[in-house]
Amino acid sequence: MSMMSTEAQELISLEGERKTQRNLTHSRIRWVMLGLLMLFGLVGGRLVQLGYANTDTDFSGEERDLITATRPAILDRNGLEMALDIRVPSLYAEPRRIIDVEEAVEKLTGVLPELDPEWLRKRLTGDQGFVWVARELTPLQKEKIFRLGIPGLDFRTESKRYYPASNEASHLLGTVNRDNQGISGFEMHLDNEDVALLQDLGLARDRTLEPVRMSVDLRVQHALTDELADSLVRYQATAAAGVIMNVKTGEVVAMASLPDFNPNEPATALEPYEGRKGARINRITAGTFELGSIFKTITLAAAIDSGVVKLTDSFDARFPVRFGRFSINDFHGKHTILTVPEIYKYSSNIGTIKIMQAFGAENYRSFLTRLGFDDPLTVELPETTRSNIPKKFSEVGAATASFGAGLATTPMHMVAALGALVNGGHYVPPTLYPRTEAEARALSRPVVSEATSAKTRYLLRLNALEGSGSRANKIAKGYRMGGKTGTAEKVIDGRYSKEKNLAIFASAFPLDAPQYAMVIMVDEAVAENERSGRTAGWNAGEMSGRVVQRIAPMLGILPDFDTNIDLALVPMELR
Amino acid sequence: MIRGLNFLLLITSVLALVGVYTLKYHTVDTANEKLALQRQIEKQEADLSLLKADWAYLNQPAHIAPIVRRHAEVLGVAVIDQAQFIHITDIPMRTAQTDDDALTELFKSLDAGVDPIAALIEASVQ
Repeated sequence: MSMMSTEAQELISLEGERKTQRNLTHSRIRWVMLGLLMLFGLVGGRLVQLGYANTDTDFSGEERDLITATRPAILDRNGLEMALDIRVPSLYAEPRRIIDVEEAVEKLTGVLPELDPEWLRKRLTGDQGFVWVARELTPLQKEKIFRLGIPGLDFRTESKRYYPASNEASHLLGTVNRDNQGISGFEMHLDNEDVALLQDLGLARDRTLEPVRMSVDLRVQHALTDELADSLVRYQATAAAGVIMNVKTGEVVAMASLPDFNPNEPATALEPYEGRKGARINRITAGTFELGSIFKTITLAAAIDSGVVKLTDSFDARFPVRFGRFSINDFHGKHTILTVPEIYKYSSNIGTIKIMQAFGAENYRSFLTRLGFDDPLTVELPETTRSNIPKKFSEVGAATASFGAGLATTPMHMVAALGALVNGGHYVPPTLYPRTEAEARALSRPVVSEATSAKTRYLLRLNALEGSGSRANKIAKGYRMGGKTGTAEKVIDGRYSKEKNLAIFASAFPLDAPQYAMVIMVDEAVAENERSGRTAGWNAGEMSGRVVQRIAPMLGILPDFDTNIDLALVPMELR
Repeated sequence: MIRGLNFLLLITSVLALVGVYTLKYHTVDTANEKLALQRQIEKQEADLSLLKADWAYLNQPAHIAPIVRRHAEVLGVAVIDQAQFIHITDIPMRTAQTDDDALTELFKSLDAGVDPIAALIEASVQ
């Protein structure tokens, strides 16, 4: 029994041991499986989580090559493109991958004959990873080079600046270099402004740059350029330039200076013109000239505004004005006693000096400062210069300055000053950006009274009806234009030349409600035919008339032949 | 039970393997497709920029003016003369009022088949 019992006991214990062993294994497997399941569940859960995650589809911050940096399109005020980017292929090489340099050179020069084989050979040998071979190719050239099948050559797309109007508006727009950085004109201004900054920050990579609008009207710009080009032929002039400004807003509507250049080929800006170097500068903002009798408008306005001189006053213009050894005479002297409007109409130097002396040389100098002649130009172009006016006038200096000799100003300063004199007496700084009248009013500063402005308008209109501006008025009949001529003798080798002169016509229209001021210059003009003269009324004047006749309908100014308009311009004291 | 589980796991492993690889190749295909599309977009952008430039060029006054000048005689265009503008108030008013009753009479007679002009012609023939 006991034996049995011990055996049984053992058996039982054995059985129990095996059982526990098996049970242990089972439970271990279960634990491991549970662990694995949890592990895989974790991985699976994470996968599901990743699957649900929203991927970022906005790559605007993605880095792109600087090479494809783009510039904003430039539009005129009507939204017509003046400058835009085109995408062109450029050829580069990886010299370390080129097997047979000689063959490559031979084949490439076959397609691109302008490449120098020697230079190309140097370029393609070595083990650099990247060298430019030729930039800005045509799609056709790209196709041909592809066909050659030279290993180690490849293309990348670059942006190239394109100016659809080529020469027109060239001085306004300026141009860019190979890397699309502005090197002159409005393009350079844009870079200084903000585009370069954007490019540095890498924000200009996406090709959605906002186009920039200018105040220029391409149609007017074309009419002006066309007439300037015509004057170069008609009067055999060496150069011609013109600027048109909206007197209410200060917007420059058109500006051209011939000879000009083609901004699509920047090198043309430096080419000599008829053998003269540097002839292609922008004469409107970067050239200073003695603008001659136009200054009589300013002198008279200054004197009238001060109240010292009235329109009804008379001055003795019978004898030349003497300053020690000098004497100043009239160009076509009447040698009588003249009223103020007559002095203006006959462009009398003597009368103008007398008016200036009544007003005072000091006062005259400070009036020029008030009209902005001493300030740098506000136009958004890098090619600007300051006018050249003596800080203090001597007695003779003031006398000559009163009729525009002995002081050199830019035409842009002049057109801004003229605009201020006709628009009611508010000086508005000129700009190339669109600007509303309200904005302009906030920027403007009063220079003369409304009454003086009205009298200046009368004088300008009088000169167009009865004086040197009559030829212009004949062509632009009905547009109520008025202006003053200036014929300045050019300084050649340090003294005034009798042969060559600069003809200027400064005008404004329509004078019953002035909207646009214009300055036109023709350099070294000759008479059109035997019966015509050489003075400004014959060339710059007639040209201004033609320009007004062409642009007035575009600018929404209707002709009006009502004679009462001219009568209404006559100030009360003269009626 | 374990054997069954192993078998099941083996099957799922094979299926998962096949699934992962198909997914991988599919991804590669999609990436290639995307690249091709990007290339196409870039090319079309380049073409578009050229077309835009062309359009801008064709719209330039500098481009149009010489064409106009060439055909000026045929088209009869010239710089607009001031005399061609006229104000609405310059157009003279109608001198006389139309005779409404007489017109009504005329239309009625026409509807009735009486043709005064034909009668005039016949009278002149006779």
